[in-house]
Amino acid sequence: MSAAAVPRRRRSARGRARSTGWNVLALLLCAVMVFPVFWMLSTAFKPDDEINGDTPTWFSLSPTLQHFRDAMNRPYFWDTVQNSLVVVCVTVVASIVLAFLAAVALAKYRFTGRKVFLVLMIGILMLPAAGLVIPLYVVLARYHLTNTLTGVILTYMTFVLPFAVWTLRGFVLGIPKDLEEAAMVDGSSRIGAFVRILLPLVAPGLVATSVFVFITTWNEYIFASVLLSDQSNQTVTVWLSYFYGTSRNTDWGGLMAASTLTAIPVVVFFLLVQRRIMFGLTAGAVRG
Amino acid sequence: MIRARIIGAAVLVGVALAAVASTASGGTKADSITVWLQVDAQAENWAPIVKAASDQFEKAHPGVTVDVQYQTWTDHLKKFDATLAGGNAPDVIEMGNTEMTKYMAAGAFQDLTSLKGSFANSSTWLAGLAAAGVYNKKTFGVPYYAGSRVVTYRTDLFKKAKIKVPQTLAQFATDARRLAATGSGKSFSPVYLAGTDWYAAMSFVYEYGGSIASQAGGKWKGELGSPRSIAGLTAFKTFFQAASRASKTTDETHPNPYDVYAQGKAAAIVGPAWFSCCVGKKYTKTTAQFVMPGRTAGQPLPGFLGGSILAVPVGGDKALGADWIKAYTSNQSMTALRSIGNIPNTTSLLGNSVNERAAKRSWFVPTAKNWVNVENGNILRNMLAQILTGKLTVKQAAQSASDNIARVLNADL
Amino acid sequence: MARSPVPHTPTAAVAAPPLRVRRRRPLSTARVAQGAAPYLLVLPVVVAIGAILGYPLYRLVTLSFQRYGLPELIQRHGSWVGLENYRSVLSDSVFWDTLVRTIVFTVVNVTLTMVLGMLIALLLVRVVAPVRIVLMTCLVLVWAMPAVVAVQVWYWMTNFQNGVLNHILTQLHVGDYDQHDWYATTFSKLAMVTLLVVWGALPFVAISLYAGLAQVPPELVEAAKIDGAGPLRVFRDITFPTLRPIVFILTSLSIIWDFGVFTQPYLLIGSAHVDSSNYLMGVYVYIEGYAHSDFGRGAAISMLMLLIVAALSVVYVRGKVRMEEIT
Repeated sequence: MSAAAVPRRRRSARGRARSTGWNVLALLLCAVMVFPVFWMLSTAFKPDDEINGDTPTWFSLSPTLQHFRDAMNRPYFWDTVQNSLVVVCVTVVASIVLAFLAAVALAKYRFTGRKVFLVLMIGILMLPAAGLVIPLYVVLARYHLTNTLTGVILTYMTFVLPFAVWTLRGFVLGIPKDLEEAAMVDGSSRIGAFVRILLPLVAPGLVATSVFVFITTWNEYIFASVLLSDQSNQTVTVWLSYFYGTSRNTDWGGLMAASTLTAIPVVVFFLLVQRRIMFGLTAGAVRG
Repeated sequence: MIRARIIGAAVLVGVALAAVASTASGGTKADSITVWLQVDAQAENWAPIVKAASDQFEKAHPGVTVDVQYQTWTDHLKKFDATLAGGNAPDVIEMGNTEMTKYMAAGAFQDLTSLKGSFANSSTWLAGLAAAGVYNKKTFGVPYYAGSRVVTYRTDLFKKAKIKVPQTLAQFATDARRLAATGSGKSFSPVYLAGTDWYAAMSFVYEYGGSIASQAGGKWKGELGSPRSIAGLTAFKTFFQAASRASKTTDETHPNPYDVYAQGKAAAIVGPAWFSCCVGKKYTKTTAQFVMPGRTAGQPLPGFLGGSILAVPVGGDKALGADWIKAYTSNQSMTALRSIGNIPNTTSLLGNSVNERAAKRSWFVPTAKNWVNVENGNILRNMLAQILTGKLTVKQAAQSASDNIARVLNADL
Repeated sequence: MARSPVPHTPTAAVAAPPLRVRRRRPLSTARVAQGAAPYLLVLPVVVAIGAILGYPLYRLVTLSFQRYGLPELIQRHGSWVGLENYRSVLSDSVFWDTLVRTIVFTVVNVTLTMVLGMLIALLLVRVVAPVRIVLMTCLVLVWAMPAVVAVQVWYWMTNFQNGVLNHILTQLHVGDYDQHDWYATTFSKLAMVTLLVVWGALPFVAISLYAGLAQVPPELVEAAKIDGAGPLRVFRDITFPTLRPIVFILTSLSIIWDFGVFTQPYLLIGSAHVDSSNYLMGVYVYIEGYAHSDFGRGAAISMLMLLIVAALSVVYVRGKVRMEEIT
């Protein structure tokens, strides 16, 4: 006991210095990585002539909220935010549910076609999207789903599902066998045990996957722009393209302000769920 | 138990989808027309003109509503392709005049030749603009509006250098040398012109009687290697060296000329008339425009006439689409479009603004279906960069570009 | 930040099988399929994907064997030309140059992303909780930025006229970078694109690896340290083997995305400067196929890209699946 105590005390003095070093390094890294985001934010508050001026300024000494006002006054701002929220939320929920079911099948059962299914999932990830845009539009036109949010949701799901299936399969595989067996000893059926005891263990994985689905579908552009031609139906990324799609000058301040506004839901969502992920994942490392 | 899970999940998804479907609007109804205009027309001073035309149309066609959907220049062709493939193209579409030929050649539009007489002022349509809507002697597009290129300049710096608005190109070059003294810094341009601004460079080529390409017997021949074109390119090089400190290799949007102007680094810039919007607070009061002069006094340098055309895609309603276009290009509508700074589509309404005077002499790109590939391949830009950096002589660069252009234009003809 | 047009769900972690002292029991759930159960579970996904992607996939393949330009698109009818599209692409030197360039680009990007991502993940483990949250929030902020906006901000920061990068470097007296053009040569253009792509890719990789690191059994690490193992040894013998499955997945995903990346190179280099000397495969397929409206050729290039990426990734996929069969 005493032998173990001495090295610990000796380590702590050196260790504290080292850990301060790591913390400082982390903060520096943060500053460097987030610099472009900071630049976007600071530009959103700069008046126009500072944005285009010939010496860059870090902060504006006379910041303005005009760009934010302009962005929010643009036609269809609130409509597109609502559309994006609907599309993303439905995509997240639907794809997590469906992918989870498939993941359970892949992880817990051995059935013919399992390998083929897995390979197909990966194959879809490798598909070049540029080539699929027009054929996909043709398919949706046949179903009368062009220019609808439903069409966009279905499109997103087809690309999101392979990832979600792949990821959730891993999480399900990672659940310790003992817990599952222990639950079944209680007399519940296999599926019942799975739902009541193991679902909470997979929850961090579900939450983590949904964060990633959220971010990528929120920022998706190419399919949304081709599928949605009516401005009242468009999503936020397409709405942003109107800032730089005119034949005249681009309102950079407005674009930066608009981008800042549209990034808020993503960050809010992450902050809401991040503790769940981290806590859940580290809790999973506790072994019985 | 598992079946219950699946059914539960399916119901959840189904309900969600149904909820979404009920809030989202569906496709076009049978009694409405879809019009695709560019987002430029959504501006505060422009949208009422669109609305007036739609109202007039709806009055003439009770029961038919007009759904105007604004598109962006960056995406609208991709979306158009998709709707053509999917069979639900709009009834009216606005196309850029350089975009038309490729689509006309592919049969994307309905033939409006028989209806041509019913459009307002069709006998006095601007020749350069109207030509972009004609293919194989058939009219597929109605000219909408145009914009030409002018010189935006600093009146105070011109006064300081004791020069007046130049009347000839040679005079302008001399004035440029005097203007150099009014500014400071090594990056001050008397006349800021980007090195690979091919719109400006080709204006010189056409001024000297040259051209980009000509068609004979169905095949395209590159003309940049001709003596006249070379003279024009040499003149451009001389002017650039005298007047512009811009980068020799970057294009006319990186940086934007009006930004350079707003930073005080240029006494004059060449570009569309709307540049005056963005010259910066400091110089708004000391900014004016004049027509870029040609070689002879009183004649403008031929300017590139940028503009838009309205057409009815195949699959759209020809009668209704044409009627909407009629309403939108009526005399009244054109007058309104002119009043917000556009060049109207007819010479009968042309006034005396700088923009309109500059349009008196104009040039246009070869009306070849593969022209877009020449632009996408940056053939002209590369040629200009080679000429200005001295990597190749004017003759070598021009000949090589000319051959390239001919090859691209003649590809699968 | 999506690095390709396809919306992806990057994985937080495929939970690494925890290292145990005793051998893990083989998959005892490997019974014969319980009736229709697994098929019913998989059915919704198959239907959802099949209904939407089935026809486009079929179309993509058939298009690659047809002459299909804009006129054919409008008439909705192409003409069969067999392998002509493939022949024309494979005999085009631009295709091979672009392929080599893209492979080099992919290798560099993936290596940088994985190495830096791993370093950030290791850093995330070592810092105190408040700093960790700050760093993670920074990463998410980077991730949440749409690609188009990120490219524009990047361009502003690096442009020769008034970019803040030149400003900082000159102020720090690193050299005279006033008006330095960071996009002058092909190499510098692609280097800038690499920086941008790696920057955007780091959050996902770092966070995923961090989640994976949380699975490393601390008792083993402590035991190794008491035995006198240095940090490098601990990493090599304990940490990395635990992370191997996740690293495999992240690497193969990164290969797929970086190989086909389009938005960043096309927008950052700029449509006025993109040409055959700096094409990457994603840009190449867009310009050759869609900007030129030669959809048949574009489809052929897409199929070739698919085959190449599959070939590049099959090693990793096999390794991953085999890994899980063992444990």
